[in-house]
Amino acid sequence: MNQGSRNGEVIVITHEDVDRAHDRVRVSAARAQRGFWSRTRLLWLLVGPGVLVMLGENDGPSMLSYAATGAKFGIGFFIPFVALTFCMAIVVQEMTVRLGAATHRGHAELIFERFGPFWGWFSMIDLGIGNFLTLITEFIAIRAGLGFFGVPPWIAILIALVILYGALMSHRYWTWERITLAAAAFNLVFIPVALMTHPSWHAVGHSVITWHPLPGFNKDTLLIVLADIGATVTPWMLFFQQSATVDKGMTTKDIRFGRIDTVLGAALATAAAVATILATAPLFAHQMTADNFQAAEFAQALQPLIGRFGASLFALGMVEAGIVASITISASSAYAFGEVTHKPHSLNLPMGEGKSFYAVLTLCAVTAAAIVLIPGLPLVYVVLLVNVVAVLAMPPALVFLFMLVNDKEIMGGLVSPLWANILATTVVLILTAAGVLFGTSIIAPGIFAVLGGK
Amino acid sequence: MVKKEQEEMFSSADQKLVLSSLEHDQLVRAKKQPIPRRHLKGPRLVLVWALRIYLLFMMAVVVDQVWTAAH
Repeated sequence: MNQGSRNGEVIVITHEDVDRAHDRVRVSAARAQRGFWSRTRLLWLLVGPGVLVMLGENDGPSMLSYAATGAKFGIGFFIPFVALTFCMAIVVQEMTVRLGAATHRGHAELIFERFGPFWGWFSMIDLGIGNFLTLITEFIAIRAGLGFFGVPPWIAILIALVILYGALMSHRYWTWERITLAAAAFNLVFIPVALMTHPSWHAVGHSVITWHPLPGFNKDTLLIVLADIGATVTPWMLFFQQSATVDKGMTTKDIRFGRIDTVLGAALATAAAVATILATAPLFAHQMTADNFQAAEFAQALQPLIGRFGASLFALGMVEAGIVASITISASSAYAFGEVTHKPHSLNLPMGEGKSFYAVLTLCAVTAAAIVLIPGLPLVYVVLLVNVVAVLAMPPALVFLFMLVNDKEIMGGLVSPLWANILATTVVLILTAAGVLFGTSIIAPGIFAVLGGK
Repeated sequence: MVKKEQEEMFSSADQKLVLSSLEHDQLVRAKKQPIPRRHLKGPRLVLVWALRIYLLFMMAVVVDQVWTAAH
């Protein structure tokens, strides 16, 4: 029998339902008990989507960008600025937690259902293209990071794919999430690397309080600021966290812990990002030009300062950043495909029932990985296309997120209060403007020429 | 898919577990029910049209830049 009944209504259950129910039983048991350890266990059971999305956003290109920021500007304005961008990310990502818990539907699915097939398909296709191009950059980071240890590119890519596929093999969301969280914890490896550089804590404290020293205001600095703000929330983050919240089986009772999960993820990601800036700040002090450095080159440049062990940790951090992002981003594409095409979409699906879900996930990852092995890949164009696609996708994704979270028909009493709407509107406008300006500067580089710079 | 579901057997304990642990709209079968389309009016309709125009404009800019770069 696969049917039960509730209030006389015949209910058909599936394998996915049974797996999710097992997860919910543990949550209910933890919630039923009182005391510090029960609360801690409940938090342990409910963290996941928020931490993964924030540490996933600390991906290969982002860590490279933080490393370049540290090497170019040292300790100063960008340390509190990075923390501020993660605060903005919390405001946006919290909305996806509420939407997922209240509706039990993914972001792409809600856009499709509430705003029609045009926007549903547009979101899915644009997200798919953007994610695919981003995946290429993640595998480049993995290849470069493992290249520091002399690992040949094809073996580096194979290792990444084995880890990605290993997380999937259980066909259980819970196991996939825990394996990915364990991998994501390695993002914090940048903290010991930063400590090895013996940063001036006085200078760090001064920069956090005063936001000084400020970088010189020119075209380059403006573009870095715009890129950092624009990259605070990327399309895959919205789609991933909402889908993962649904797949995890979170309900409205779990929203508080979903918020804690998001804040915890942002705090960990901020710590890793700031640590990366601190780790490469000595390169600024030594007047090293790192404009064209790749991941392995930063590790090599740091080796005389922090030794082989520290440089190895730095390179491993880059590998981890690429691996975790490739796992979460490919999952985000598979979720969105299933939501828009109405095919089964869950990490709880057995292979037989989730063929299209696992096929999309595997195809995205394997194809992106294979492309990285092409000699002479024009990385500059890949990065350019990622930005262009993000510019197209972000305004609709943010606007629809805002409209959905204020949609009383689907959210009921969980619509945003006025103060939250004012805050969210401000953040959405800043993110959209910064993203569009940065994208425009990529598409039409002459637009900021009036500000000077290189 | 329907055939597959019919073939899959779950114990009565599983059924009880699912029905007692999941909210009704969390069930896979319930999620297949479409959510009604939202009928936009006033400022929201203007906003969605603005997004359409934005997309058309940005796509034109991108195509123009790609065309220029290619030549």
